[in-house]
Amino acid sequence: MPYALCFLLFMLGLYCAVVKKNMVKIVIGILVMEYAVNLFLIMLGYRFGGTAPIIERGQLLESGQIANTFLNSSVDPLPQALVLTAIVISLGSLALMISICIRTYEKYGTFDITQIRRLKG
Amino acid sequence: MKGMTIIVKTVSSWIKVLIVLFGIYIILFGHLTPGGGFAGGVILASSYLLLMLAFGREFVQKDLPLALDSKLDCLGALLFAMIAVLGLVLCDKIFFANFLYQKYLPGQPFNLISAGTIPFSNIAIGLKVGASLFLVIFLLSTFRRDTSA
Repeated sequence: MPYALCFLLFMLGLYCAVVKKNMVKIVIGILVMEYAVNLFLIMLGYRFGGTAPIIERGQLLESGQIANTFLNSSVDPLPQALVLTAIVISLGSLALMISICIRTYEKYGTFDITQIRRLKG
Repeated sequence: MKGMTIIVKTVSSWIKVLIVLFGIYIILFGHLTPGGGFAGGVILASSYLLLMLAFGREFVQKDLPLALDSKLDCLGALLFAMIAVLGLVLCDKIFFANFLYQKYLPGQPFNLISAGTIPFSNIAIGLKVGASLFLVIFLLSTFRRDTSA
């Protein structure tokens, strides 16, 4: 059920990126698609009744082992680490998209993609 | 870009100290609490964004020139590479080895000095991310309408 809602969010972003005519709205649609994919990847590592994957002071035994209470109840931390990298990548691509938008506005004077017909400048 | 009124300028010059302190806390304790290099770097860049909105762009240009910011960016990347190469040299030819944890400074768990070279990697990443985001935000705000076309 939560996976279906993630898919719905992805479809909303796809609709926005395909149908809209304003350039900034297209960029926002791409961003919503990236959010939906990151959310889906994090939800894959969930465990019912799980806790955050951070070891507290009582869960590290003297022999250096990790207690069973942590191993039986924590969620998977590996998708969270990979999604952090994906968020950084989407930040970089967002900066590139915004600078392309601004540059196009400088040359054409409008954000409407149906008015941008011929190459200029 | 002009600044704002004098009330905003006074209050934001107090608040920016708290924002920088919070960013440094998130970077330094990255191996104990959630956060780490990237989140702390974003918070450090946002303190300069507050300065840019309240005081104007020319003030921030004088405060942190773009050449110095580029050098900070490269310094962060060089520091990270140096930590990795030091692991290669000092610890049995393993790239990125945690040489502080294995040989010199193991430390106790749950303390600040515990995870070896991970806090230093966090500092390098925080410096690089903060400088890069500040450059991006500053340069995106200088665009004006090209009326000669």
